[in-house]
Formats: sequence, C-alpha cells, structure tokens
Amino acid sequence: MAEDVGRLFDEYATRFARGERPDLRAYLDRAGEARDELARLVETWLCLAPPPEPDEDAIALAEAWLRGEAPLAALRARRGLRRAQVVEALIERFRLDPARRGKVERYYHEVEAGLRLPAQERLLSALADILGVPASLIPSLRPRPLRAQAAFFRAEEPPPDIPPVEESAPPDEVDLLFRERE
Amino acid sequence: MSHARDAEDARLLASGEYARLLAVYDPVIVQRCVAALKGSLDAEDVAQDVKLRLYRELRGGKTYPVPFRVVVHKVIDWTVKEYFDGRPTDVPVPEGWEPSSEDDSIGPMYVESLIADLPPRDREVAALHLVEGLSPAQIAARLGMHRNAVDQALHRARVKLREALAAHG
Repeated sequence: MAEDVGRLFDEYATRFARGERPDLRAYLDRAGEARDELARLVETWLCLAPPPEPDEDAIALAEAWLRGEAPLAALRARRGLRRAQVVEALIERFRLDPARRGKVERYYHEVEAGLRLPAQERLLSALADILGVPASLIPSLRPRPLRAQAAFFRAEEPPPDIPPVEESAPPDEVDLLFRERE
Repeated sequence: MSHARDAEDARLLASGEYARLLAVYDPVIVQRCVAALKGSLDAEDVAQDVKLRLYRELRGGKTYPVPFRVVVHKVIDWTVKEYFDGRPTDVPVPEGWEPSSEDDSIGPMYVESLIADLPPRDREVAALHLVEGLSPAQIAARLGMHRNAVDQALHRARVKLREALAAHG
C-alpha cells in the first residue's frame, strides 16, 4: 500500500540533511502512484537545500575519483580489506561453491573497476554490509574514465592477471549473482 | 541571499580543494539524477557524466559569476535534458558556457526562503528539522518547547514547504 507522499518527503529530506544517503529509489517505490510527485518534490528540494558537510569517507572517495582510481577499491582499502577478503565474505554469505572463487574474484574486480554494475539487490546489500556503507551508494562508486570514451565506457581494462569473465557458458550461481537485472 | 555554503564553496574553489567540493555535491548530483530519471538505473550513468563535466570545468580553472552550487545544478539540468533528448551526455559543456545569475531560479534561493513567511518560531523549528536534520524530540529539547508544539509547527511548515516546492518545481 502506498504511503503518504508528504510523510515520505519529510523523512527523506531530514535524513538527507543529516548527511545520510537515503535510498531514493526505495522512497519512490513506497510512494506508489505518487511516485512522480515525490520525485518532483525531492528534485526541487535538492536544488534548494544546502548540502550537508561530507564525511571523511566521502572526501576519500572523491579524491580517488579525481585521481582516476576506483572509489570502491579505495573504500575497501579504507576498511583495511583485501579484495580476497571481500570475495571470501561473498562466498560465505551466498554459500557459493568455493571452487568458483576465481570467478567471483573476476566478477568482483569488474565491479570495482566500474566494468560491471552490481544491480542485484542481494549483491548490493552484501557489499554494503561488508564495506559498511548504504547499499544505495555503491552503484555510484565508479572510476572516472581516464580518457574520452563512448558513454558506456567505465574504466581501464582489467589487468592481465584477472581475465574477463566468459559469458558464453550457461549461467551458474555466480553469474546469476553478478549479472545485471535480466 | 548569501549563504555560508556558497562562501565555503568559493573558498574551496580558490584553494583548489576539488575533492572536498565534489564530495559535498556528489550526493546532490546522484540523488537529483535518480529523482529526475524517476529511479531509472541509468541515473548513475548520467550522474557520472555530470561529475565528468564538472571535473573538466574545474580542471580548466574556470571561474563563475554565480555560486558553484548554481553551476552544479545547471550542469545537472543540462545533462538530464540531453539524456531525455537522446543526445550524448559524456561530452564537455560547450566552450564559453557560463551560467548567469539572471537566467536561473536556483541562484538566490535556499530552502529557508521558501518558509520565510511562516511565524518565526515555526520557521526556526522547520529549519532545524529540514536543514539540520534534527528530530522533533531533539528540537523540543534544544528550543525548550513541548513536543506537541514542535509537531504542530512542523505540520504547518510541511504544508507550506510542500506548496512552495510544488510551485517552484
């Protein structure tokens, strides 16, 4: 059942003012038929409300983006995590076959490099828990392209030791977790 | 209306603290794109292109006759429009582009101005809630008010703000 748009807007605006990253898509879904009205209210609000001061994480992520580095990798480093630890945590959380660790690592590298969007809600939620940030922040953590490219270009090619994931075989549990919404 | 945010942005621009400046506006850029695209998964693509355009502007050392906040919103407006027009959004803004304080409705506005004609106490309560993010209980404690009085002031402010936002948007 759709919720009152005024109450949703108030909740969203106060959370934004506190410096949180409220999940706007979730608020729009909760608004039901008033989705467009809420989107307009929020957009106008964002034009007029003074943005809150950024925290140290946000500044570090912006610094990484300006340097052309992967903000998600910078965030992981700030949490003192190696890529292998994130991969292990994903395998454990989703009870994936440990024999597919290499594939999980390749996919996760693609996510960090901005080559693959983690559109699955359960993957976003897991990464958010592991990295200690709101799930809604993760899709925006993409590296700055280092040279002019077409609109869909996201980052440099992966290093040679991490080959891209083959997508010709029938999808397994790892593919289903990482591939974009189908 | 001048604002502390605008003054701080001007200082960050002058001192080249671009990371902090982008960190301030990153949530605004992303959330505005999500709102403008009604939650489409393309929103983060458009937001990335907005950031790239701003980055190129900053790297080019441009200065503006309006607060940086206005520049940010103008670039968002521009990029979102190009997205809906089906044009590429990853190209720089045109050479010589300059936002003007005369042709924008964002420049002189801050949310406080939308609730300016509320009674002073209501305005104070609304600003603490909507600008600083304090809860009604926190506001009651800070201002020495009854919680019911805070709730009533917030209700009046919400009605006013919603009308003003709808008119403005």
